[in-house]
Amino acid sequence: MLRASAAAEAAGVPSSSLVCDGFLGQGATTAVGLGLPNLPMAKVPGHVDTQTDNELRNNLTSVTVKAVIENLTAAQPAAVMIPEPGPQEIVIEGSFDEINRFFYENGWSDGLPIVPPTRAKIGSFLAFTDLPAEHVIGKLLPDNREATVWNVAVNGVMAGCKPQYMPVLIALAEAMADPGYGVEHSGNTPGAETLITINGPIIKDLEFNYEQGALRDGFMANTTVGRWWRLYLRNVAGFILHQNDKGTFGNTWRVALAENEDALARIDWPPHAADFGHARGDNVVTISRFTGGDVIASVFGQKPEDMLPYLADALISQSGWQLIFTVGMADGSYTPLLVLSPILAETMAKASWSKDDVRQWLFENARIPAWKFEQYIVEFTNFYSGGRSMFELAQLGKANELYGESKDPDRLVPIVCDPMDIQIVVSGDPGRTNAQVFSHNGILGFPTARAIRLPNDWKNKLAGAG
Amino acid sequence: MSEKQSLWILLPTGQRASGEWIDDTLHSRANEQGLLERLTQVAAFPRQRVEVVRGPNADGQVNEMFYRRGWTDGLPIVPPTMARVDAMLRGAGQPRNTVLGEAQPLQGLVTVEKVAINAVMAGCEDSHLPFVLAAAQALLEPEFNLRGVQTTDENVAPLLMLSGPAAKAMHMNSRFGALGPGWRANAAIGRAVRLIMHNLGGGWPAAVAFAGLGQPGRYTLCLAEDEEFNPWESLREELGFASEDDVLVVQRAESVVNVTGGLDDLASVMASATSSFSRLHGGAVAVIVAPYVAKLLADEGKSKADIKAYLHENSHMPAADFEKSWIPSRLASQTKAPRWVRAALANGAVPAVEKPEDITVIVAGGDIPIPQCAYMPTWGFPSCRIAKKVDLPQGWSPDTEN
Repeated sequence: MLRASAAAEAAGVPSSSLVCDGFLGQGATTAVGLGLPNLPMAKVPGHVDTQTDNELRNNLTSVTVKAVIENLTAAQPAAVMIPEPGPQEIVIEGSFDEINRFFYENGWSDGLPIVPPTRAKIGSFLAFTDLPAEHVIGKLLPDNREATVWNVAVNGVMAGCKPQYMPVLIALAEAMADPGYGVEHSGNTPGAETLITINGPIIKDLEFNYEQGALRDGFMANTTVGRWWRLYLRNVAGFILHQNDKGTFGNTWRVALAENEDALARIDWPPHAADFGHARGDNVVTISRFTGGDVIASVFGQKPEDMLPYLADALISQSGWQLIFTVGMADGSYTPLLVLSPILAETMAKASWSKDDVRQWLFENARIPAWKFEQYIVEFTNFYSGGRSMFELAQLGKANELYGESKDPDRLVPIVCDPMDIQIVVSGDPGRTNAQVFSHNGILGFPTARAIRLPNDWKNKLAGAG
Repeated sequence: MSEKQSLWILLPTGQRASGEWIDDTLHSRANEQGLLERLTQVAAFPRQRVEVVRGPNADGQVNEMFYRRGWTDGLPIVPPTMARVDAMLRGAGQPRNTVLGEAQPLQGLVTVEKVAINAVMAGCEDSHLPFVLAAAQALLEPEFNLRGVQTTDENVAPLLMLSGPAAKAMHMNSRFGALGPGWRANAAIGRAVRLIMHNLGGGWPAAVAFAGLGQPGRYTLCLAEDEEFNPWESLREELGFASEDDVLVVQRAESVVNVTGGLDDLASVMASATSSFSRLHGGAVAVIVAPYVAKLLADEGKSKADIKAYLHENSHMPAADFEKSWIPSRLASQTKAPRWVRAALANGAVPAVEKPEDITVIVAGGDIPIPQCAYMPTWGFPSCRIAKKVDLPQGWSPDTEN
């Protein structure tokens, strides 16, 4: 939020941002990260959607308008730097319990015990990268704090990672700092959670689980890398509940999802990272934000044509308000993800279906009536207002032409704009015919991949590690 | 070192919504004003919610450290440990992170937790917290003009008057020495309010607050309306609340002026230059009537409204005296007097306040045949008499020995 106002102020144009009551705190903290801690905001009392026109008018004229005038006419106070403990500073010495209490009470922990990040432990993590500790990976909004190799390691220690996970963590920090991912959206109210997928031989090097229970805690690499992500969002990016993390419900972090590359090799399907230009055999992390999803149990059938209608139906049933990312808010940025168990992928491959064939079929068949699509983005959510149908939007060039082929409200339209927008990952119990769908959060977390850079002498270092 | 010798301290100082600590602003101001020789550790604290202070003598260390950081009123404080603050918060009846507002002028966020921290420091009992919270809310009302109160060169302070059954239950003094030392509720609740102004609003004397002299009421200025000696309707009932309610009434008060005498003596004091600011700004003043005087007046059949009318009518200063007094002639010559003052001057004399209702009257003091009354003039815009009904949480039980 507030980025347009920040741009205006930076260009020397006075601004006033209308901010609803519930977002004032987030606004204030976000403004700091934008380098304009005194960015002028005008309060809009309450939640506008629940007010009558009269209430809204009264609130605006009695409160908001005055603030707007003051915002635009008064001089704003200068920015003040907020000092923090230095990265190398020892913040506490004490017992395990004391350190944990101290970290928790100061808001640096997620509520589970952390491993105290001592200099010795941090050093062991730094040994697994060729980058210097002070190397700056990027700056992370909303706090605009620098992501450094050092603070990647500190949070890695705290999360319970092993030192050899460091190359994965650095790649994840790089992906988090990629402007294309949009880390600043991580505190949005839908409360979507990042899904990390891992490709490459590093899956076996670090003993990621990629088989039965692939999305459940229980394997150190999957669990602690997922936990590191959340700690890093908290401690470096600065997302903290009741402050600038406004997730209405949210959920716990997702454990990292490693792909079953043995199964992929057997059926000659490309890895997930190939969607982002990486080659088979590359070590890659991919991140994307998903609001939720569901398991699709017992996909019955001997050939793709028997199995796919069920998967298409699941894609439809897990795509509701998120369709605003297909038409309306950020066209073509809805990229749901389907996890197939190896046996499902193998059954399809046995019929000579490639991964792209599967996507194409799903694109053509995961369709809903246009009126239903419009109901999600207009009537239910009021996300897209203005009363135009998708047909009209397409005619005006404001929606993909796929949506302008007819005026018939009963016509079937796709849920994504392109077959390649359906991501497919192969993982989970090799012998179960279950799948999983994740509903993607669109523009709020574009899928972003990063190659994992291994340090020199990786194999020997790994052999020497515990 | 064992954990038992450590104090886990919550920081009492103000953080803005943006995350900035007001201490960084205060450091600049204190430096400009040459205060850092005394306050040697201003802004030198870990920027986090909790700090651990290791023994030995952790209590003493906290006290010295807080004083040097500029976080006290100069008297020793009770170290706000997590355990004490948690206990205090059990009486809050609302979540600790609830934001009540921003304290002017430096805009530290007034959260329930920050209020509780300062209440612990001030020596409050857990049962006092609802009253401190109500006072903090009153201070945050726009008509209290906290910015003005904190930064003016005048000696104004918040006057807290509690009207309700809780006053007696928690031994808030309304009798002998009600404005003096000795009663915990009067001392600690008023002190907590001062610490909130100091630590969250940043009203540091000589750095941000430039009151010429200040007044002892800036340590605490808190008393109860006496229930039994008051022959009239209570202040809360007068303000539209129920008899069983507990209502905290907050006004801006200049130094308390003792008046040993009856209505004429009170009126003569009110007619003097003590009322300069109500004649400049308008606003509500307070009069404390001694139980003895109250009884005599009631026996004469006088109502509270009669008393207000009498004081109003007899607090006129002759126009000539007013024109040559310091404030209108030298300080406020550029400021237009309020319309009612100009109208009164045209008639030859100006009362202490615009209308009788601008005089708050309560009965308090010792039950002896001595007419020891008091007048609390006011200062500043706009007119301010804020009444907050205090919601006591279920199970509120004051004054349990611990």
